[in-house]
Amino acid sequence: MNNSLHIAGREYAENARTKGFWVNLLMFPVILFLSIKVPQLLEEKAKPARHFVMVDQTGEFDSVVDRAVERRYQRAVFSKLIDYQKKYAKPVEEGAEGPSGQEFSAEMLEQMPAGIFGSDPTDPVGSMLEAMEDQAPEMFDLLAQEGGLDLVLQMFYTTLIDNPPTFEPPRRMLVRDEVPDGALDGVDIATADPADIVKAIKPYLLNEKSIETSDDPLFALVVIPSDAFTWVNKPGQMPKGDPMETSQEGVQFWSSNLTDTDLSELIERSINREVQHREFVAKSMDPDTISQVQRTEMQFVSFDPKKAEGEEVVSVADTIRKWAPVGFVYLLWVAIFTVVNMLLNNTVEEKSNRIIEVLLSSATPWEIMSGKLIGIAGVGLTMMVGWILSLLGVLKFMAGPEVEWAGVLFEVIQNSGLLPLFGLYFVCGYLTYAGIFLAIGSLCNTVKEAQNFMGTATIILMVPLFTMVFIAQDPHGMLASFLTWVPLYTPFVMMNRAAADPPLFDLIGTGIVMFFTVIFMLWLSSRIFRMGVLRTGQPPKLLELIKGLTTPLKNQ
Amino acid sequence: MNDQPKYAVELNGITKRYGDFTAVKEIDLAVPVGSIYGFLGPNGAGKTTTIRMILDIVKPTEGSLAVLGEPTAMAVRERIGYLPEEKGLYKKMKAWAVIAYFARLKGVDAKTAKKRAYELLERYGLKDFSDKKVETLSKGMGQKVQVLASIAHQPEFVILDEPFSGLDPSNQQVMEDVISDLNKAGSTIVFSTHVMSHAERICDRILLIAKAEKIFDGTIDEAKALIPKVVQVSGLTDPEQVSSLPGVKTVGASDSEAGMHEIIMHDDADPQGLLRACFQQGIELNSFQYHEPTLHDVFLHLVGDDAKVAAYR
Repeated sequence: MNNSLHIAGREYAENARTKGFWVNLLMFPVILFLSIKVPQLLEEKAKPARHFVMVDQTGEFDSVVDRAVERRYQRAVFSKLIDYQKKYAKPVEEGAEGPSGQEFSAEMLEQMPAGIFGSDPTDPVGSMLEAMEDQAPEMFDLLAQEGGLDLVLQMFYTTLIDNPPTFEPPRRMLVRDEVPDGALDGVDIATADPADIVKAIKPYLLNEKSIETSDDPLFALVVIPSDAFTWVNKPGQMPKGDPMETSQEGVQFWSSNLTDTDLSELIERSINREVQHREFVAKSMDPDTISQVQRTEMQFVSFDPKKAEGEEVVSVADTIRKWAPVGFVYLLWVAIFTVVNMLLNNTVEEKSNRIIEVLLSSATPWEIMSGKLIGIAGVGLTMMVGWILSLLGVLKFMAGPEVEWAGVLFEVIQNSGLLPLFGLYFVCGYLTYAGIFLAIGSLCNTVKEAQNFMGTATIILMVPLFTMVFIAQDPHGMLASFLTWVPLYTPFVMMNRAAADPPLFDLIGTGIVMFFTVIFMLWLSSRIFRMGVLRTGQPPKLLELIKGLTTPLKNQ
Repeated sequence: MNDQPKYAVELNGITKRYGDFTAVKEIDLAVPVGSIYGFLGPNGAGKTTTIRMILDIVKPTEGSLAVLGEPTAMAVRERIGYLPEEKGLYKKMKAWAVIAYFARLKGVDAKTAKKRAYELLERYGLKDFSDKKVETLSKGMGQKVQVLASIAHQPEFVILDEPFSGLDPSNQQVMEDVISDLNKAGSTIVFSTHVMSHAERICDRILLIAKAEKIFDGTIDEAKALIPKVVQVSGLTDPEQVSSLPGVKTVGASDSEAGMHEIIMHDDADPQGLLRACFQQGIELNSFQYHEPTLHDVFLHLVGDDAKVAAYR
């Protein structure tokens, strides 16, 4: 046993001292941090403002589009205002009623029914504003009025700490430009062929000519031809144009950027809203009444029968809780395969270096094997603990008004009981796979030989990754129930299902299965290890292997 | 603690078969405590398998053995040191740490292991490399480190498989020094080698194996006595003249070109006596050559063609 510990100590020291280990350990929080921060920064700073030109031959949509663009901007102002308020909110005095600031928002999230804010639980404020823009855009007009922003700020100031920094409104991301000077000289805009207009503006889109208002090329050109109204599709009528060909008629949106659809969607929606509005009027219907009717909704709440009485409402935190295991499965997978690969490489190295022979003269194969297993498990656990602590650290650090979900996720991880299960499944998964990799390592003389085995192994091992999202969506479905009982996948699938309170039978049953799997794998791999370590030449064929496993040692 | 056994290793008819292939066949051997024992034999003869069986790394198919009085080396592994044939070390570890690690596996406590590692490195000229990683050492230095790693726990029985291979002459000398130092300190040593001169210089006894079987076991002198004493003479006009002299067994045919004759003598005969007898009889000779047989001659004599194959490897 003493020797196992010496060997474990050496394995641990050797692997924990490598640069790769530390890079692995430190990259995780850095990547996590960046993956939260960078998109924010990009959104705020780096993404260029989108300048576009619109030529409306009908003369009917100029103000419609302008208003939509303005409201989109006011939504951004509003969003930033909310962040600003949260960031500089006065702390609650001792003994005062109710929570406030950060505490308040986390508490709110816990209680707010999922879905009330729209679809994205990680950004409830954002999705609420999105819903507002869609359903009650006139709310944003208040801010756009002269002095509107100051008025709102005045209201906020009473709730803020003394002398908060000045509120900086965000940049305008969508900017409508005038037609560039001289571009349409000599063209009668109202009667020109749209093709001529496009031809005249195209160089600006292609960056052959530059616009004065921005260093970037013109982002988009919108042309509304004079006959646009004849291309309105209505229910009960055949679509306009040749059904066999893609129609080229209607409002034209020209842009060389096909991925950023914010602008095209905004313009399309605002124009269609206007068209619909006119249709209401034409049919003698009151648009305001219709708008109100459209916003009339039955309240809909999700309940979870498993939760305690009175708390059955599914909260945002519940949604996060449901998805958190997916993250854990991924972490588990990465951790297990990082460390078992270390094990494989070490074993091959010892074998190809013939160090194994010296070891065998000093320790029994079982001591060597268990030493390696313990040592590498230590490396893996160190990595896991490092990752989880840094995950919690980053979440704690980031949790704030801007990244609300981080705070909730932090709470969920801390309180959900997922961590101990994670530890358990790590150990089980590790011991199962470590046995396999150790056995492979002991049969191969070079890393290259080992990789031949690895190819097949990797495909089998990818399954938990492919299925982790489906299993989280349907934790008691066929797929989940089936994979639960495949010993190689049990640790991953059970982790995957952990948040959905799997049946006790599954919990205990798989526990027993895992226990015996681990015992069996360790027995099998110790036999293969013993047989493999002193072998030279090609790795054995499967038949040879089976024969070897059933032959007594003195005849091997 | 058992009574001090008389033999470090006793093998009784051990045999190792891998399927149909017999690697070692019914070898008996007794290595006296305190001796230096050489295992000689061509490549593939079964030396390494024998050593592995002694160390309990592979199990014999038949036969029994005792190591330091125990039926398995594992029971006394802390008193045994082993240097395998193919040399390798952990590349990323420092020289002293490798030595200390293997010493610790043999039950030496951490502090002593470290101290001994530095001492050994200093004694055998590697002081400046103590804190260098193994991967930065030359092959010869690495090999020395491995030798030191196998003896840092001060074993009473040391097995060295081909300790001289891959070493330059000066390091071969260092290796010989290591072996004789160990022996002086009371260790029993078994080593295998191809290089007969080393064996001849330092071995008390040798075991010669060929094609899995023991073909000789005994002292160097006994080995040399195995081959007939041969005197080479030239200028002999009539071979019959010497054939009747004392100690002469046979006189070989003349080598026509050089005019040389090989006179094979009886085992206990004295070549000097033959020379004296020639003078007394007035037999004229142009030259009279007698070489003490070397272990190399013994090896060639006993192993024959196998040895030639081995010599090219």
